[in-house]
Amino acid sequence: MSIAIADPKMMTSSSSGRSLFRHTFALTRRSVVGRLRQPAVLAPAFIFPLFFAALGSASFNKLAGDPYFTDNIAKSFLNYAVAGAVLQGVLFGSTSAAGDLATDIEQGFFERLLASPISRTAIVLGRLAGSMVVAVVQVVIFLAIFLVAGARVESGPIGYLGLVGGSALLALAMSGLMAGLAIKSGSPEVVQGAFPLVFVLMFLSSAFFPRHYMKGWYRTVADWNPLSHIVEGMQGFMNHDLSASQFAKSWLLPLVIAIISIAFALRALSNRLAAS
Amino acid sequence: MTQAPIIATGLSRYFGTGDNAIKAVDGVDLEVQQGEIFGFLGPNGAGKSTTVRMLTTLLKPTAGTAFVAGYDVVKDADKVRRSIGVALQDAAIDPLMTGRELLTLQAVLYGLSKVAGKNRGEELLERVGLTAAADRRVGTYSGGMRRRLDLALSLVHEPTVLFLDEPTTGLDPMSRLTLWEEVKRLNAGGTTVLLTTQYLEEADQLADRIAIIDHGRIVRQGAPRELKAMVGSPTLSISVASSETDEARAILARFGDLRPTSEGTLGVGLARGAEDVASVIRALDEAGLKVRHLELDEPSLDDVFAEATGYRLEGADAANKPAETEVVPEAKKSRRGRK
Repeated sequence: MSIAIADPKMMTSSSSGRSLFRHTFALTRRSVVGRLRQPAVLAPAFIFPLFFAALGSASFNKLAGDPYFTDNIAKSFLNYAVAGAVLQGVLFGSTSAAGDLATDIEQGFFERLLASPISRTAIVLGRLAGSMVVAVVQVVIFLAIFLVAGARVESGPIGYLGLVGGSALLALAMSGLMAGLAIKSGSPEVVQGAFPLVFVLMFLSSAFFPRHYMKGWYRTVADWNPLSHIVEGMQGFMNHDLSASQFAKSWLLPLVIAIISIAFALRALSNRLAAS
Repeated sequence: MTQAPIIATGLSRYFGTGDNAIKAVDGVDLEVQQGEIFGFLGPNGAGKSTTVRMLTTLLKPTAGTAFVAGYDVVKDADKVRRSIGVALQDAAIDPLMTGRELLTLQAVLYGLSKVAGKNRGEELLERVGLTAAADRRVGTYSGGMRRRLDLALSLVHEPTVLFLDEPTTGLDPMSRLTLWEEVKRLNAGGTTVLLTTQYLEEADQLADRIAIIDHGRIVRQGAPRELKAMVGSPTLSISVASSETDEARAILARFGDLRPTSEGTLGVGLARGAEDVASVIRALDEAGLKVRHLELDEPSLDDVFAEATGYRLEGADAANKPAETEVVPEAKKSRRGRK
């Protein structure tokens, strides 16, 4: 049997563009399938955020009696907790995706990819896109669970889109950052070791508790923490009428971070390839 | 004249700089001809894999040049990658995916259309005997199955040059034979094969020519038979009735130097090699002598290796090999996680 493959002499920039798309798509698929086939890794990204949301709702629901909270923040603590759960789930997922990339490097699948005529950028983009797909699935499942539990998306149908899109962009931003770390270190342990820092950053934001009630250094850190503003954008979709600031906080801010983090990841890849 | 599919000149790779630099590969010259199976023989850490990694564009040479399939491995790396098949010892196969999924992925990476990729995948699964296991996750495969899948993956785009890095290391004898047969079949179809091995028998059985590499340098290169002949001629040992010993000795002396052998046998180093065996038997028969036992001992590749390096390859890892620094690829350093 004779098969038709691209002749090395005939490659053009347009065929390179098509290749980048095809390679990225194929590697995205692999990334998603790989995640779904590791239930032990996938489960914490679903269970822990829901557990923290349930715990927060039980512990802090008294806030719903505070007029400031109900007038300015959320009608119920459950409604408030949705965005925090989404943020936490996305951070878990992004770390796992980067961990998979580091495992590829450590175990040699990365080298298999490098030995093929694949676009090097696709190796990173495929992993990031896979992370986005998982984040979208995750936020849809979370929303379904929270709606059944009594939460409401106050900003209407576009608010759903806002939450899903914001989560995908956040996944892109965080995955890029963690992927850069994975490529730089080539070690799943380093990636997993970095996760507690991300987790701390999340606790020092308004993901689990409103900034309004924070005091002192805790409040200062939360004010400067970009995660506070991203999660508040998402909380806006859940608890208020639709506004441009919700998109600015939960879409634009992650997008800016994503651009920087993807550049970091691609730079790390370029350095790794140059060092070989 | 068509250019040889693999040409390396002064190919070198050092790790580190200055006086502390480790010379993993130090000035390798190679020319592998079209349709050849070329064996790269040496112990762990000799520089085999580092050379292959340079030839397959995974590692940049510190010095020297290499052309594979007509392309410069540094300047035209992408064209080299499109032209070659690579099955690396250290390049793991994703254990979470099935054999069929990996073949489909590989087909996409090499630019095959969806239909062509599917057909080629089925053909290769059949060829390496993995059709029944195609939809099982690779994590459940045995070592032999993984190697066969690895070979299939490297053949998706019908490469004209194939690199196999220690393709049978760790395999049981049956799996090893199966893989040898497949390599021979591929080569019979015109594929040029460069394989690295630390197994003497593998190099002897498969390779048309071999290069022995030690401490990053090629110390011998040629056809196994030629290399063995350089070490010495084969020894033919015979035993005859004690009353016929003197007459037999005189006949044997016509074919080469008489050599000491075990008691009760006569030995001769055949000057023209194994092709003289028939003549010796004919001469003994014509003289009316009855041969009770006959044995031909060829010099082995291990003899060649020992003559070239000063130590034997068999058991070299454990005790006999002189101290050296092994350069371990990053992928090999740790083997934890989901493999």
